[in-house]
Amino acid sequence: MNKHYFLLLAGIFLFFSLRGVAQQPGDAGVTEIIILHANDMHAKIDNLSKLAYLADSLRKLHPYVFLVAAGDNFTGNPVVDMIPDKGYPMIDLMNRCGFNLSCIGNHEFDMGQELLNKRVAQAKFPFISCNIDAAGAVLKQPRPYVVLNAGKDISLAFLGILELNDQGIPDSHPSNLKGLKFTNGLAKAREFSWLKEKYGILIGLTHLGIEDDVKLADSMPQFDLIIGGHSHTVIEKPMIENGVMILQAGANLKYIGKTTIKVKNGKVVDRAIELIAMNSLKNVNTEIQSLIDKYNQNEEFSKVVGVAEVPMTGYDELGSLMCDAMTNCLKIDFAFQNKGGIRVLSLPKGDITLKNIYQLDPFGNKVVVFNLNPSEIQSLICYAFNIEKNIDLQVSGMTYTVKTNADGSCKEVEMLDPSGKPLDPSRDYSVGISTFVAVTYLFDHRDPGTASPSTSAGCLIDYLKEVKKVNYSGIRRAEILR
Amino acid sequence: MKVNINSREIEIFRGATVQDAVMAFSERSCRLLKKGEILAFDRFGNPTEPDGELTEGQIITLKKTKKT
Repeated sequence: MNKHYFLLLAGIFLFFSLRGVAQQPGDAGVTEIIILHANDMHAKIDNLSKLAYLADSLRKLHPYVFLVAAGDNFTGNPVVDMIPDKGYPMIDLMNRCGFNLSCIGNHEFDMGQELLNKRVAQAKFPFISCNIDAAGAVLKQPRPYVVLNAGKDISLAFLGILELNDQGIPDSHPSNLKGLKFTNGLAKAREFSWLKEKYGILIGLTHLGIEDDVKLADSMPQFDLIIGGHSHTVIEKPMIENGVMILQAGANLKYIGKTTIKVKNGKVVDRAIELIAMNSLKNVNTEIQSLIDKYNQNEEFSKVVGVAEVPMTGYDELGSLMCDAMTNCLKIDFAFQNKGGIRVLSLPKGDITLKNIYQLDPFGNKVVVFNLNPSEIQSLICYAFNIEKNIDLQVSGMTYTVKTNADGSCKEVEMLDPSGKPLDPSRDYSVGISTFVAVTYLFDHRDPGTASPSTSAGCLIDYLKEVKKVNYSGIRRAEILR
Repeated sequence: MKVNINSREIEIFRGATVQDAVMAFSERSCRLLKKGEILAFDRFGNPTEPDGELTEGQIITLKKTKKT
């Protein structure tokens, strides 16, 4: 056989064998659609070059490949979150990967509504959510759903749904949610069950967490798929609830979900999932990788602001450093840092860079200063302690010991100034706490508090630049006496 | 909010992660979770990343990883 003729035949065979089952005998009228799905990427951009290569490769072989995100694209990487135009690199890279759609997750609000509007406008794909009412807010009203088409005859309706906490708002700083109204996503979704009738295929693109995804499936068997996020669940095997397939691909782009659906007469007749570990992929889109390298090499973040003389580990050491920075920065008597705001649990010995700071304290919380008497300070400490019946607040400017009741709750707090004397019950002290603690912790205070212009991270940078070297080895300022 | 770790109810702040709740459950378990010596699973048997955000009433089970 002529060599060229053989190669031509081999090429034709390969082409048709890779076109997917839609063209295979016995599958007449069946169309195969691939949905690649990520969730909770949290601004982890490094694997987006692999995702781009994977998506491009699949698009060359299959006519219908969609790439979607189930929310929380932001918050978790300072090169994305802590630049003046917050979030820009993430959307830039998602555009280049060819994302078709994202739902809104709670951390989409972290950058504030104005910037979120900017990011939505930058995106070449829509952000959807059915349970946000933005009338009267800065945020532009998101669409509840979008319809993606696979050819002329197949339509996939994607419905976006956002989680709400027990206060009825998504888990973001309340100041970022001004003017927004939220409704229960599970109830609201039922109002859109007509999408199934109209379009034939209904997919939930949710940021609810696995527990609520299961409740959603139980109440709405109309969904063919629920592509979820929020709980960072790694679903490796098909999870079917009430006939609905529930999907989620971990977090931080360690995995990508590849779900293949087969459609006949406008209805899903088969579903298959594959969870792809990104570290198993070797090829990258080199153009996107160059851009990722450029974003990562932001010189600003490599700047050294101080030196750790010894490694710093745990909430006591790191929290004490953060509190000292606040008291020093604002010239206040005491500062408290809640455990949830300490986002890394160790800093190695050596140079501390801006990137380290923003990983430790990524939220951009401002410091609020209250004038509190010792009784009010005790109520703050007790409220925080009772959340977990354990130390929650690290402190600067004083030490304290929580004495507990028989049930482990806070009975009273012994508070000592740096000279070891009890605080003076007749005077007020200036106390700095993050806006998050100020808004969400319930404690007695006559003073409504005043927000300082400083963020806790900004204070930390200034403090390290001033003192240059720090050593918090073995520091423990808060104790429990059970 | 309340979550459940290995059949024990844990009261924890809103927005807490699996790792935060495991820390409240037991510091030792949290250390092992971070080292990858134990894994967290939801009530459906799916593994959950330590930085996964919890919702009210969520049930988490900690299991030792299989030694090879």
